This record gives sequence, structure tokens and C-alpha cells, in this order.
Amino acid sequence: MIRRTTLMLIVMIGALVGLRAHAAPPEGVQPPAQIAAALTEDVVEIRSTFAGAELTLYGAATGLQEGDDIVVAVRGPAGDLRVMQKRRVLGIWVNAAPVRFEDVAGYYAVASTRPLSEFASFSALRRNQIGMDHVRLYAPESIRRETLFGVRNVMVTDLGGEIVDYRAALVRNKARRGLYGEAPGGVELLEGGLFRARVILPPTTPTGTYDADVYLFRDGQPIATRRTDLSVVKAGVERTIYDLAQNRPVVYALISVLLALLAGWTAAAVTQRR
Amino acid sequence: MQIYLPIAEISLNLWLLLGLGLGVGFLSGLFGVGGGFLMTPILIFLGIPPAVAVSTQANQIVASSVSGAIAHFRRKTLDIKMGLILLIGGVAGSISGVQLFGLLQRLGQIDLVISLCYVGFLGIIGGLMLVESVNAIRRRRGAGGSVRPKRRKRGLIDVLPFKTRFAVSGLYMSVIPPIAIGFLVGGLAALMGVGGGFVMVPAMIYLLRMPTNVVIGTSLFQILFVAALTSFLQAVQNQTVDMVLAGILILGSVVGAQIGARFTSKIPAEELRALLALIVVSVCLKLAWDLTSTPADLFVLIDAQGGQ
Repeated sequence: MIRRTTLMLIVMIGALVGLRAHAAPPEGVQPPAQIAAALTEDVVEIRSTFAGAELTLYGAATGLQEGDDIVVAVRGPAGDLRVMQKRRVLGIWVNAAPVRFEDVAGYYAVASTRPLSEFASFSALRRNQIGMDHVRLYAPESIRRETLFGVRNVMVTDLGGEIVDYRAALVRNKARRGLYGEAPGGVELLEGGLFRARVILPPTTPTGTYDADVYLFRDGQPIATRRTDLSVVKAGVERTIYDLAQNRPVVYALISVLLALLAGWTAAAVTQRR
Repeated sequence: MQIYLPIAEISLNLWLLLGLGLGVGFLSGLFGVGGGFLMTPILIFLGIPPAVAVSTQANQIVASSVSGAIAHFRRKTLDIKMGLILLIGGVAGSISGVQLFGLLQRLGQIDLVISLCYVGFLGIIGGLMLVESVNAIRRRRGAGGSVRPKRRKRGLIDVLPFKTRFAVSGLYMSVIPPIAIGFLVGGLAALMGVGGGFVMVPAMIYLLRMPTNVVIGTSLFQILFVAALTSFLQAVQNQTVDMVLAGILILGSVVGAQIGARFTSKIPAEELRALLALIVVSVCLKLAWDLTSTPADLFVLIDAQGGQ
């Protein structure tokens, strides 16, 4: 009886400590470490000559100790997408068995001082969605809640082990286009707690708001984080054209047809005169 | 020099796109074909989303058919009544095609259907052209007998109802076949981003038996309006017409077409037609290969709009 109570107490303390770790540090108490970070540009403009962009994230960490590691994770705007499997039907490869993923980051890049598995615990990486194996990929339609072994609300996927293939395929496809990436050693530690990391945006990078999160890892856990953001916007002519096509499609359609008519007619008129 | 295409949302080499427009324009000027059937697959090979390639190509066809249509209109070498009836079918076909396009996009099957349509049509047309031009070269080189004109048979087309008189073409026939042909061509324009001249011209000559002097003008008339409507509908409904891409392709192709038209008389026609047939057949084979060979990745990502 006494033993059970003690055990429960330990569990409760553990839970409290766990909560404390996530809550903001109380006033007056100096946190073990702090981070400041900034990007060389916080707005990336897509103009007609846009062919990708390269930015640098600069940061400083106070209280950085020997053996601490820095991780920079940049996540692009989220959107829904489907992953389909190619299956052979009558000799032809056909897209089949779609799985819809919700709120998938359109861009995801992680840079760190060392390979992630060397300094961070699996659970810390999973909880903070750090690393290509831990990107948040949620396929709501394939998930049911069941009671398993007396435990209620266990999430079970209809796809069984196949969901792993789908998740891997999503990450692999994005990585091939330069949209997802992991750069162990991509964070460079400079003197005096300063560090820097490169952020490379491919030409197909989506428009929207990007979050760049910096984590300081000690003993396998993040002990400090800092968020800064970045927006990728279409600008100039590209923006005008895109906005018109999206917001006033009828006007856009008329202009494009009229321009085509005019171009064809002008070309004919010019060559006839000669 | 890279240029960012705002609707396709990728950046491609400007000179490559201009060169592509020029090359396809040259071929179209040389052979009097629209060139859409070559341009669209190449745009897709370059990585432009199929939806954008097809819709933008419809816009380019407007530019490439307008001058021809005006010229035929001035010379009165077109059958307006026939053109209007074809157009009725074409409008219906284009509207249905754009709807079908949207549906296939949502199902994630648009690439497959576009590829299959291309493999089918390019295979048939390239094959026929190849056989015809090889025969023509043989006939010219060897003794070769002359081809006897076929006698006109009374077929299914003559028994259909709703007959009307086409004064310019000198025909008295049902309106159903032209509407059906127009519908097919309108659907092709929306699904494949082609004018459809390669289907319509033979159909007008062999099925409708229209006199050849009004065939080209009438088909251009129909293509112009159907392509304009298709481009309009795709832009309004699917937002897939890329004005920048269309502009570059149009610029290249109008210049190319003028150069091509000047070369027509200087180059042996049969050998060139055989060359065009070879190009068509190789594009077809490339598409067929992509459909049947084991893909590098057995999974594919499809975004909310159905692009890849």
C-alpha cells in the first residue's frame, strides 16, 4: 500500500517536472540557456528571374556549454496532398490507392551541428518534429480510434504497415525536389556562442510564411528554443499576374485570349507588309 | 537565363522556351500543322504541370490560328455555315472536356489520360503519315501507278436525319456528323491542348467529303473559336493558363512559323513529311515508354489542385 502511494507520487512529480520543462521559466530565475536568431532576409521575393534563394540564419546562444548542440528547423506553409501508389494495369502504370495527408509542410529543412541521432533522444526529435523521419505526416482518413488491450482511443491506421511506405514516399519525393532536406553539420559553430546555418530554397518553393525554429540540445533534450519567421512572396509582374489569375479569373482569361489574338494578328500583319 | 512562370510555379530557361516555340513554329509553318501535338508533350517533359501545359497551349493555338483564319476569311475560302455547325459541336465538346479535365485532376488521373490520348493519336497519325510519305517517295522514284479516285459510296452519313444544304461546300447532308466531329475536336482541345486540325482535316475530307479548297479555312475558323473558348474556360475554372509561358511560346512560334513558311518551297516535301512523321512517332514512343517502363519511384505526390 505504501509502496503504491510512493510510486504514484513519483509519477505525479515526474508529470509536474515534465510540465515545468514546457512552461515558461518563472520570473527572476535565470534559464540555463537562451538563443537569439535572425535571418539575413525575412522576405524572399519571387520575381521573374527567381531561381531559388539562399539565406543564412545567424544566431547566438548564451550559456552554451561544451557538448551542446544546435538544431535549425525551417518549415514551410502547410497544405493537403495525396500520395498515390503506381500499380501496373494491363502493362501500364496507373496511379492508385490514394492516401490524403493533411497539413503537410510544403518545405522542411533541418540543419544541425552533428547528426541528429548522435545527440538527441528519439522522443525529443519526435515530439518537436525534428528530422526527416519525424516530419508531421497526418493521414486522418486512414486513422480509426479503437480500444486496444483495454486502452481507449488508440490510433490505428487502416493501412497497416503500408503507411510507412507512404510516409517514406512523401518525404523522398519532396527531398528529390529539394523541398525537404537534412544537413548534419549544416550548423556552423563560431566563436563566443555564435552560430550560422544556410537555408536553401529551391525554385519550386511554395509561397507563404515559413517558421525557422532554433533548438539548443543538452543531454538529449532541447533546453531552449527560439522562433523567427520568413515569408516567401511573389512580387512585381509575377505577383500581378498570379493575383489576377486567382482573384479575377474572368478578366485574366479575357486578357490572355485577347493578347493571343493580337499577337497572332500582328505577326500576320507585319509579314504581309513586307 | 532562368525565367519564373507565375502559374506553372517553376523556373525554366528562357532561351530553351523561346527555342522550343521557334522550332515548333518552324515545323508548323513548314507543314501547315498547328504544332500543339508536339508542344504540349514537350512542355510536360520539361516539368510543367500537365494542366498548365494543356491550357496554356490552347492559348498559343489562338495566336497561331488567327492569322490563317483571317486570310481564309478574306479569300472566302471557308464554309461559314459548316464552320458554325462544327463550332456548335466544338463548344459543347470544349465545355465537356474542361469539366472532364477538372474531374480527372481531382482523381489524380489527368497525366495518365493525357498520355494515353497522346500515345493513341500520335501513334495513329505518325504511323499513317510515315506510310503515306514512304509510299509517295517510292512512287516518285519507281514507276508507280497513279491512284484512282474512289467512287462515292452511299454510307451511314447519308441516311442520318436533319439534313441541310451547305452551299459553299456543295453538300446536302445531315448536321449530325459535323456536330459530332466538332464535339470530338473540342474535347481534344480541352484534354490535350491541341487545335485538332490533324483530326478534323481528314474527317472533313474523307467523312464529310468537303471540297479541299475550303477544308483548311473552315477548320481554322473552328479551331480559332474553340481554342479561344477552351483557353478562356481553363483560365476561369482551373486557373491553369500561364500568361508568361504563353507569351514566350507565341513569340517564338510566330517567328518560327514565318521562317518555316518561307522554307516550304525550297525543301523536298515528301522527305520532310517523312521527317515530321518520325518526330511524331518518336514523341509517341517516348510517351508509351514512360507509361509502361517501371517508374523510378512507385509513389507519386499529387497536390490539392491535382498537379504533381
